[in-house]
Amino acid sequence: MTRTEYEFNVKRKDDGGKVSYSRYMVPKDRISTVLEGLIYITENLDQTLSVRYSCRMEICGSCGMEINGKPRMACSTIASKLGTDKIRVEPLKHYDVVKDLVVDIDPFFEKYREGLPYIIRSDDGNYASELKQTPEEFKEYEKYSMCIKCGLCLDACPIVGTDPDYIGPAAMAGVLRYNLDSRDQGSRYRLEIINGEEGTSRCHFVGECSEACPKGVDPSFAIQLLRSQGLKHELAKIFRRE
Amino acid sequence: MASKAGVLEWFKFRGKGIGYFGYAFQRLSGVVIVFYLYLHYIVLSNLLRGPVTYNDIVGSITYGPYDIFVAFDVLLALVIFYHGANGIRLALNEMGIGLKHNKLFFYLFEVVSMALLVVFLYYAWRFIAVG
Ligand code: SF4
Ligand code: FES
Repeated sequence: MTRTEYEFNVKRKDDGGKVSYSRYMVPKDRISTVLEGLIYITENLDQTLSVRYSCRMEICGSCGMEINGKPRMACSTIASKLGTDKIRVEPLKHYDVVKDLVVDIDPFFEKYREGLPYIIRSDDGNYASELKQTPEEFKEYEKYSMCIKCGLCLDACPIVGTDPDYIGPAAMAGVLRYNLDSRDQGSRYRLEIINGEEGTSRCHFVGECSEACPKGVDPSFAIQLLRSQGLKHELAKIFRRE
Repeated sequence: MASKAGVLEWFKFRGKGIGYFGYAFQRLSGVVIVFYLYLHYIVLSNLLRGPVTYNDIVGSITYGPYDIFVAFDVLLALVIFYHGANGIRLALNEMGIGLKHNKLFFYLFEVVSMALLVVFLYYAWRFIAVG
């Protein structure tokens, strides 16, 4: 007999820091995605459950969580495709939990900002027209610009788990995105930041960040490309070409 | 990030890809190799106690009564072959080689290294059995 309900087991953390699991039965015909299941719970079964989401279409990056042990976006995870009626939902690892499924994402953005994720120019910035770019030049960094800052890659990375100061995959994918942008002139500043112990050297090319990334950004590949950029930068410094 | 997971997390393989396995075992095999290095130093340090004592110890772990040490030697060979092959793959990655086919490289290097291990064990066994 096929069951008509999903069994949601949601990890909770209350204001006092007490951790527990709550079990909810959600009718299959009322939901499609795991996020819809969680919304169903908050609207019909338990208003005290905290969950963060916004766009519901894998754009805002706010609904990242662990679903059946894997980091995923709740809004794009189809419940029926999980291959089981039991759905375990937990907050992202490596982040501090604010409440239930809501984690403190601030450290993620601090790291991301460290990589200077914006166009840097060495001129005065006064142009008669916009800076032009060909489609081919855009293609160079397109993949890395798809990041929605969901933070799943930091959950997946085992290095982040043991070294919280590691700048991490998303920030470095962001560095590469701007370093590859034909309009940018700030590569050397970014490479100074990510060359070294808490940057590219810390990555052991596990590749889990790329497996987890919902947007196909492939941060682990980006880090390896940054390694060669970083090496060229250091050599250029030695031979005073910088 | 404020929340630290600890090294035990490295060994939670459920739902993880082969890269994760490669990473965790690179660490584990590294620890085994360091452990064995110190064991080696301890055995060698018996040279300070003279040739007779040293030969006795080496003889006891080679021909008995402690020849069970051969099991440690097999374990050591296993981790060295694994660690070495994966290490070469990672060094090539660092130079930008094999990035696009990283998983394939992992399997390739490990299959070759395990085949070499079998050859090594065959000759080691012949040496022990035939002398
Ligand atoms: S790189 Fe991918 S997994 Fe990491 S924050 Fe960006 S979209 Fe999310
Ligand atoms: S709700 Fe915006 S990405 Fe899921």
